[in-house]
Amino acid sequence: MSQQLNFKYDEIIEKSISDIIDNLKGEYVLSKRAMALLLLQEDEDIIEKVKETERNNYDKISEIISRTKEKYDKPLSYVIALSRQKVIEDITNKVVTKDEKNKNNISNFLSKLTMNPITGIPILLLVIYFGLYKFVGEFGAGTVVDFLETRIFEAYVNPWVNGIVNSVIPWKWLQDLIANDYGIITLGIRYAAAIVLPIVGTFFFAFSIIEDSGYLPRLAMLVDRVFKKIGLNGRAVIPMTLGFGCDTMATMVSRTLETKRERIIATLLLALAIPCSAQLGVILALLSGEPKALLVWIIFMVFVFLFIGYLTSKIMPGEGPSFYMEVPPLRLPKLTNILTKTYTRMQWYFVEIVPLFIFASVLIWFGNITGLFDVLINMLKPAVNMIGLPDDVATVFLFGFFRRDYGAAGLYDLQQAGILSPRQLVVAAATLTLFVPCVAQFAMMIKERGAKTAVLMGIFILIFSFIAGFVLNWMLGIFGVLA
Amino acid sequence: MEYCQDRPWYKKLIATLLGINNCDGEVNQNTQGLEKIALVGSPNVGKSVLFNILTGAYVTVSNYPGTTVEVSRGRGKIGNKEYEIIDTPGMYSLMCITEEEKVTRELLLRESPKAVIHVIDAKNIQRMLPLTIQLIESGLPVILVLNIMDEAERMGLKINVAKLEKDLGIPVIPTIAALNKGIDTLKERIGRYVTAA
Repeated sequence: MSQQLNFKYDEIIEKSISDIIDNLKGEYVLSKRAMALLLLQEDEDIIEKVKETERNNYDKISEIISRTKEKYDKPLSYVIALSRQKVIEDITNKVVTKDEKNKNNISNFLSKLTMNPITGIPILLLVIYFGLYKFVGEFGAGTVVDFLETRIFEAYVNPWVNGIVNSVIPWKWLQDLIANDYGIITLGIRYAAAIVLPIVGTFFFAFSIIEDSGYLPRLAMLVDRVFKKIGLNGRAVIPMTLGFGCDTMATMVSRTLETKRERIIATLLLALAIPCSAQLGVILALLSGEPKALLVWIIFMVFVFLFIGYLTSKIMPGEGPSFYMEVPPLRLPKLTNILTKTYTRMQWYFVEIVPLFIFASVLIWFGNITGLFDVLINMLKPAVNMIGLPDDVATVFLFGFFRRDYGAAGLYDLQQAGILSPRQLVVAAATLTLFVPCVAQFAMMIKERGAKTAVLMGIFILIFSFIAGFVLNWMLGIFGVLA
Repeated sequence: MEYCQDRPWYKKLIATLLGINNCDGEVNQNTQGLEKIALVGSPNVGKSVLFNILTGAYVTVSNYPGTTVEVSRGRGKIGNKEYEIIDTPGMYSLMCITEEEKVTRELLLRESPKAVIHVIDAKNIQRMLPLTIQLIESGLPVILVLNIMDEAERMGLKINVAKLEKDLGIPVIPTIAALNKGIDTLKERIGRYVTAA
């Protein structure tokens, strides 16, 4: 192999580099030249590291850095980047040739359409309508859930399990643990397999296609201006849309945001106002019979999202974020990747939720036989009544504390039984959507944002969701909507 | 460092129940004692696609920057030897801005890999080579992969790979990872490079 590229910066910088190298006594993984350059660019972590290693010697290095800085009117990181760019240009000019051909193809044209507000917003609405409403809502949460619920579980699995358990096991407490109203199989597994899984599966399938096409970065460009108002920028589109799949996953992805302030705002909004696919699917199924109710729910959620985002961005100190994002070309998604991705995400989700659902069943069973459950429900009842909902919803909300989708699935059961009026349904759905996220997401919030921030957010969300539910119920009453 | 496989069953159960199963990364095979090969580069250039090909595992691959936010580790065979292949979150420069970039740099600082494979999007070669230079400056064992060659060619770009290799003084390999093209050559060159070093 020939000699590695070894290029020189301008004299002043080269002099500073060698001066710094002379003062670097410690051992570093990166070459001393690279360390010197990072120091000149004032990389905070590297400065910390060098301070620790060199101790008193660092003063000299710091002096060299400030001396060098004085000689330029531009930041050193800019000067250094510029000279690198020049070297690269010299190389690529010789190595790369370009013949200007097909610059304007279909993909370019489509790309422009998605980013221009006039055409971009209708395209976004089409994507939401077909991808989310038709495919996830009607097909996933409607057709598939109906099939699994009524044709499989209610017709075969539940009667069969109940029959066997009740005849083989003599003790009522054990019967109830496995089967009947709150059993592990008849409730836990049924919710997970028949309600949540088809919805999550269809969502991840649709989302994978959108992801692989390269639509998301274009959406980021489109909504950048709105997001700036709530202290975020277009980059936050990715965690936010991913949140519609799984808020836990999305909270982790909020790491890609640049400032701590953005990450906190994004985490709060994900926990509060973005329903995950399991919840979303159930809510779409719940409310799709009442188009007006669905519309109220959507408007309310969008309002809360923008309102809380705006408030937080006003309260939290810090500068507005700048926006820089690469827009990859639109690509035709590959079916194999979409299937593998949907499969791995469903697997991830399933492995994560099934133990939780079973655990929840056990907890509820335990609460039931000890009477603890009734105590908690009785405590919740006044709050539930306050926002205009019947006692039964207290049970659903208690589930909801554990996992929002579990609660939403419970709401689905209530609606099937015809207990709730449209107005009550909307209020219950909205309150539940705002609710404390599932245990997994809360754990992720603690991991990513720290315990203190996470707990504060949790408390805020709990109080806010009831207040918001109350206000919504009151407004619906005043304006006589959904009476 | 604690490996996920080594955790006792009850810890795993509790972690799963609470949803804090935070063994970092989507893929975490047991790679103790193997020499390391790290994939680095800007976001959305195909590092995870290469990781999947080299290890036979699956980490999520998408068409937007920032799909990978955690480090994944898998076993991959190159030549007759097994290596620990490391997939990293994208980074634009050694000067870090976001947290994922820091994760990647920390990894390079801490784990001294046998080879650092810098993956770039061939059609944006001019924008992406500065990181190659920084990696070379740092004295790291760099191999450059020009990925997504098909799109570059469709745009009318022609890259003289042999000359680029000579100018930079490091191995340069063109690939189309999504279509599995150029992988054999890549593996062969990595193998030769790592054993020669």
